[in-house]
Amino acid sequence: MIQFAIRRLLSALPTLLVVTVLVFGMVQLLPGDPARLLLGEEATPAAVAELRRSLGLDRPVPEQYFRWLGDVARLDLGASVKDNTSVGGLIADKLPTTLQLAVFAMLISLLIALPAGILGAMRQNSWVDRLLTLLALSGISLPSFFLGILLIYLFSIRLAWIPASGYVPFLEDPGRNLLLLLLPAVTLGVPTAAVLTRYLRSSMLEVMTQDYVRTAHAKGVTGGRVMFKHGLRNALIPVITAFGLQLGGLLGGAVITEQIFSVPGFGRLLVDAVFTRDLPVIQGVVLVSAVAVFLVSFLVDLAYAAVDPRIRYH
Amino acid sequence: MRPAPRTLALFTLLALGTAGAQTVTVGLDADPPRLDPALSSAFVDRQVLNQIFDKLVDLDQNLKIVPAIARSWKVTNGGLTYTFTLRPGVKFHDGTPLDASAVKYSLERNMTVEGSARKNELSSVKEVKVVNPQTVQVTLKQPYGPFLATLTDRAGMIVSPTAAQKAGADFQNNPVGSGPFQFVSRKRQDNVTLQANKGYWDGAPKIDKLVFRPFPDGDVRLANLLSGAVQVITPIDPKDISKLEQNQKFEVLNYPGLGFQGIWFNVTRAPFNNKANRQAVAATIDRDAVAKVVFYNTVKPAAGPFAPGTPVYNKNTRIPAPDLNAARQRLAGRPLTFTLLTTPGTVTTQLAQLYQAMFAQAGINAKIQQVEFGTLLDRADKQDYDALILGWSGRPDPDGNIYDFFVTDGSNNQAGYSNKTVDGLLAKARAQNSLNARSATYNVALNQIVSDVPYVWVYHPNNLVGMVKGMSGLKPIPDGIVRFKDADLK
Repeated sequence: MIQFAIRRLLSALPTLLVVTVLVFGMVQLLPGDPARLLLGEEATPAAVAELRRSLGLDRPVPEQYFRWLGDVARLDLGASVKDNTSVGGLIADKLPTTLQLAVFAMLISLLIALPAGILGAMRQNSWVDRLLTLLALSGISLPSFFLGILLIYLFSIRLAWIPASGYVPFLEDPGRNLLLLLLPAVTLGVPTAAVLTRYLRSSMLEVMTQDYVRTAHAKGVTGGRVMFKHGLRNALIPVITAFGLQLGGLLGGAVITEQIFSVPGFGRLLVDAVFTRDLPVIQGVVLVSAVAVFLVSFLVDLAYAAVDPRIRYH
Repeated sequence: MRPAPRTLALFTLLALGTAGAQTVTVGLDADPPRLDPALSSAFVDRQVLNQIFDKLVDLDQNLKIVPAIARSWKVTNGGLTYTFTLRPGVKFHDGTPLDASAVKYSLERNMTVEGSARKNELSSVKEVKVVNPQTVQVTLKQPYGPFLATLTDRAGMIVSPTAAQKAGADFQNNPVGSGPFQFVSRKRQDNVTLQANKGYWDGAPKIDKLVFRPFPDGDVRLANLLSGAVQVITPIDPKDISKLEQNQKFEVLNYPGLGFQGIWFNVTRAPFNNKANRQAVAATIDRDAVAKVVFYNTVKPAAGPFAPGTPVYNKNTRIPAPDLNAARQRLAGRPLTFTLLTTPGTVTTQLAQLYQAMFAQAGINAKIQQVEFGTLLDRADKQDYDALILGWSGRPDPDGNIYDFFVTDGSNNQAGYSNKTVDGLLAKARAQNSLNARSATYNVALNQIVSDVPYVWVYHPNNLVGMVKGMSGLKPIPDGIVRFKDADLK
């Protein structure tokens, strides 16, 4: 198991190196000069040139890349072009917010998906199943900006139960923190719930036709026991993979949701950085996201390997 | 739309964490990038900077330059020497006295600090001299009419020398001034929090705490006002005005601004290196239709860079009506196809489509290309476009709305326009001190520019501020910066 983990980690290093090249390259392809954009409508050519020089943007791209990579190797992600704050500090400041939001959203989606998926499989093709399918399809199709605005309209403007925006760190005021993150978490969790419901339902249906389930039935085990003891446990294996992929996606999906609810998280940091061409921040955020997605899939692999021994020897 | 007032009040109190103190939360359209008067280059910065820093002089509602930190001033030596008498006993938020040496330090800092966006505005300054603790003398290299007006903005903001020297490049994250509010904290993309300066020389502000929060999306900004999360938003999307005006709980401040919007033509390449083509396109534009259809009449049709109500605005200006026959005559049967560059967004898309339809009436075929703002600026600078939609937020002095746009190689001359006569007139107007004389010079220059059509002015946007009823003391000053010193919330 440990060997498997080490092998998996080592194989990730070249991938991450490729990611750094891609990140740097893609950012170079972005049209628009950071210095020009930062100085905005008031820029004079002399001021732009001065800023470019002080940001090191006048150097050749490979030199910029290796300099950046060297800093990254020393865990220094550079400083924001916008206000000179350290990118590492910014990320450390924003990432916990987004992680909390993602975990909260994940919990909400599991709360919806587990019962819905099981119910759908148990009552296959009944009206309950059809209704659940319809809801799941709407959940997948509904754009999150629409759902978000809808929730704001309903709960903030019409009912005035929950503020439309804002953020308080959990440690400062846990109750208010959860209240403020509820709507964004629902917005983020609903599409995930819909996907997981579909996965769980079909996985359950497949497992329920397996020989060992039939054997269990034949041995006189009751329906509910078969469902949970034999069915659900095995059906969850592919769902874990889907779950991991969704969690990686949630980090990215938070971008729009954070924008709508003004949550000062990772996604907003990225959007803002792209619009202001804050290159060090873009590079830092994308790199950290890549590492995060890798870590999630690594943990999923470990979980998978723990559940299914065949994987370890693959 | 009837949020229960008690719930709202509860939320507001929770948001404060300090029951009883009066807080006003303001929704802005962007996160203010740089809170340093020297480095700031975004309009939205000014909304925050103006509360923290005092300026040498300020603007009133009629755009008159009024005393601020400079209690009075004298212009001598043929417009070359400005002597400012400072208000006595003013202190920065960190206790440092605001005297002549602090003013000298701030002006020189603006002129020299690395990355300063003020260098251009203060390029006419030769020397700043401390005469005595209460008197500062600025000598110019050559007469520069707009000088005082530039001091009503960031160039004239006075920073605490002690704090600026200590913080260095980090001053933008810890700004210290002498204004009615003092900086408390800032969390990127979340809020900038200020608190009242109880010892302010012009009397303490009525509100205790001022919080700025960014909401880039107009609908989200409005939703936050409607739900009570914020009490003031600026700007409001034109489409939302009637919604707010019909609601008894809210009010809209809708007052003229200083800016202009229109279309640039790239005169350095085909098809718009041909003046007749530019004139043909310009002749198709129906400014009233633009004002009505896209902006619900919250803008004023424009025929030049100076907004109505500003001192050099020519009252005889006639807004050209669309003239399709003239457009066709100019084209004389030649086909005209070009690409109109713009940014994405509901309003800009609608505007571009309306223009496209207007051009089409004269047989002109425009393709719309949408690129994001940074790319638009970049392509404008590189003159890699046919025509593009871009305007200007405006400055109180006329020079700031015309010089850099039309002088040869001007920093905002996106058209690549160059005309010796215009260059001469714009330089002449700068050197004149009497507003009447400058006004006359500008009119001559404008006649030439309008006939050359490197740019077609379409409208002057209004300043639009949405707020809860009971909010008072916000003066409609045309520069669009909301001053919160006298603001009160009942």
